Amino acid sequence: MDIEGDVDLGTSPDLRRALFGLAGEAPRLALNLQALRYIDSSGIATLIEVLKDCQRSQRQFVLFGLSPAVKEVFHLTHVHRIFQIFDTEEEAVTQA
Amino acid sequence: MTTSEATAENLSMHVTFVMRSHPRYLAVVRATVGQLAVTAGLEDSESRALVLAIDEALANVIRHAYHGRSDQRIELECHAAAGELKFRIRDSGDPPDPTSIGSREIGCDQIGGLGTHIIRDVMDTVSYRTSPEGNCFTAAKRLRRQS
Repeated sequence: MDIEGDVDLGTSPDLRRALFGLAGEAPRLALNLQALRYIDSSGIATLIEVLKDCQRSQRQFVLFGLSPAVKEVFHLTHVHRIFQIFDTEEEAVTQA
Repeated sequence: MTTSEATAENLSMHVTFVMRSHPRYLAVVRATVGQLAVTAGLEDSESRALVLAIDEALANVIRHAYHGRSDQRIELECHAAAGELKFRIRDSGDPPDPTSIGSREIGCDQIGGLGTHIIRDVMDTVSYRTSPEGNCFTAAKRLRRQS
């Protein structure tokens, strides 16, 4: 699944709906964040919710393609340690 | 929005937003604060972190002071002068909960408090004040001297 644009207080509910719609079905969910320009704490919280849901049901949740700006937010919030993050889709597929 | 600029030698810029508490305005604030930060001399990564911190402070007002109501007044003042960037946010919503505005340890999978952590991590000074006129959040970021 590709995520693009800005994820903030106004758009994170849409992201949550979309991800929970997908996460309910797929045994493995890989998010492409290459076109994500901005993410705030509400977006990070949404990703954590999805991660916890996947962990509960023993499904895999990985992220790839983070821009330097998005990586900074993950590091600022220290959540880079709890996600499986890869540079490319190929790495996400082969190494996860 | 109003802006003013004095001299380049002694940077002085002031930007004021008066807006409704709707999340759609956050992108406008982010663009302006980002430009203000770069013009004031912050590096790109510092500027992005500052933008995030101010965005989080406004989101806190919308979420917690106004409980998601989108038609309430928020005033944001941004001031660049005397070696620092200062921000003041005023609202007339519910006062902040003192137990939720303190920084907390993060790094696990807890969801709450990320925004407050970001604000305290990025800004050099942060304070909250509540009075009969409303709530006032102030924060400042020091600017490094230009060579």
